[in-house]
Amino acid sequence: MDQETMKILADAIVVAGKAVGAGFCMGIGAIGPGIGEGNIGAHALDSIARQPELANVITTRMLIADAIAETTGIYSLLIAFLILFAL
Amino acid sequence: MAEKKRRRMSTKTKIQLTVFLIVYITVGIINVQYLPKSPSDVLGNVANRWIVGNGPWFLQINPMTIIMSLVVIAIIVLFARAVHKEYSLVPNRKQAFAESVMDFVYDIVQSSIPDERFAKSTFKIATTLFLYIAVANLLGGFVPGISVDVTKTIGANGEIIRNAKFMLFSDTWFAPTADLNTNLTYAIMVLVISHYFGIKAKGFKAWLKSFVEPLPFLLPLNIIGELAKPISHSMRLFGNITGGGVLVLALSYFVKYMFLPPLLWGYFGIFSGLIQAFVFSTLTIAYISAQVG
Repeated sequence: MDQETMKILADAIVVAGKAVGAGFCMGIGAIGPGIGEGNIGAHALDSIARQPELANVITTRMLIADAIAETTGIYSLLIAFLILFAL
Repeated sequence: MAEKKRRRMSTKTKIQLTVFLIVYITVGIINVQYLPKSPSDVLGNVANRWIVGNGPWFLQINPMTIIMSLVVIAIIVLFARAVHKEYSLVPNRKQAFAESVMDFVYDIVQSSIPDERFAKSTFKIATTLFLYIAVANLLGGFVPGISVDVTKTIGANGEIIRNAKFMLFSDTWFAPTADLNTNLTYAIMVLVISHYFGIKAKGFKAWLKSFVEPLPFLLPLNIIGELAKPISHSMRLFGNITGGGVLVLALSYFVKYMFLPPLLWGYFGIFSGLIQAFVFSTLTIAYISAQVG
């Protein structure tokens, strides 16, 4: 193998690593927020079914809790972008 | 009477919708003509920022952040002047909107900080942050305008060369909250203010004692816990707005700015942006109340 081919191969390995890494980062990072937001939504619906007159308050709190549970997923999205575009 | 009013409203809405669609389709056709053809040309420069100035970090500035901050400030000041000019005991629509926003925040502040001395200052800080971040997110989320495309190359002597190119209607406005510097400034400001209020409320000795509160050997954990607050506080907003902006750019590019972007602007601008602004100000109130209470 001459020098030129080695260089092309090295570049190809770097691109493949970036793609695989970003995909794993986003895929694994989305599991936690998914479970968390599902729990939040389920319990909010439970409590609304129990006390329908509190629906407004519960919906507001549910959205805040959703935004906070989403944080780690957003972190992994950001890191996936960094891997793809800035590394 | 009521039917007539409703019909008049609907024609007004129809005209607005028609104008919006005409502008939108024109912009879409112009963009199809002038957009770069390969997606890596569009997405390759996503993480690059337009930075002016060489040297240490305090000599470098991000012009886009400053320009957009001034635009946001101008919008808020103009709205405030418009409310102030027609200020009356019976509120008109603008004044009712402003009053309901302030009432909404003040209820949250009063329920979590009972002390009247701190409640008023906290209310001012939280409302200011909420208004600024909400307007910035709305501007960055769903108004297409001027955006800056930066290519970063490394020169022969190892210095970084940045070429800025201005593009019209290819991306949404750059939100000042999509820059970590803005968010980190506000988060650190909130941290300092919360500790200042804590010293004022409890006294210096009691404030120092709160760091060794459950057991003395938990001191490092308490300090790390305090320092982690501004980081997660600012990163949450930064990640949401930046990620939303990049997703809007990528998906809008793939459909050539036809039919999908308004839905994305609606989600990332209005829904996600307002929720993040609300979360930021609610967490501000929560951090201050944790120190004061």
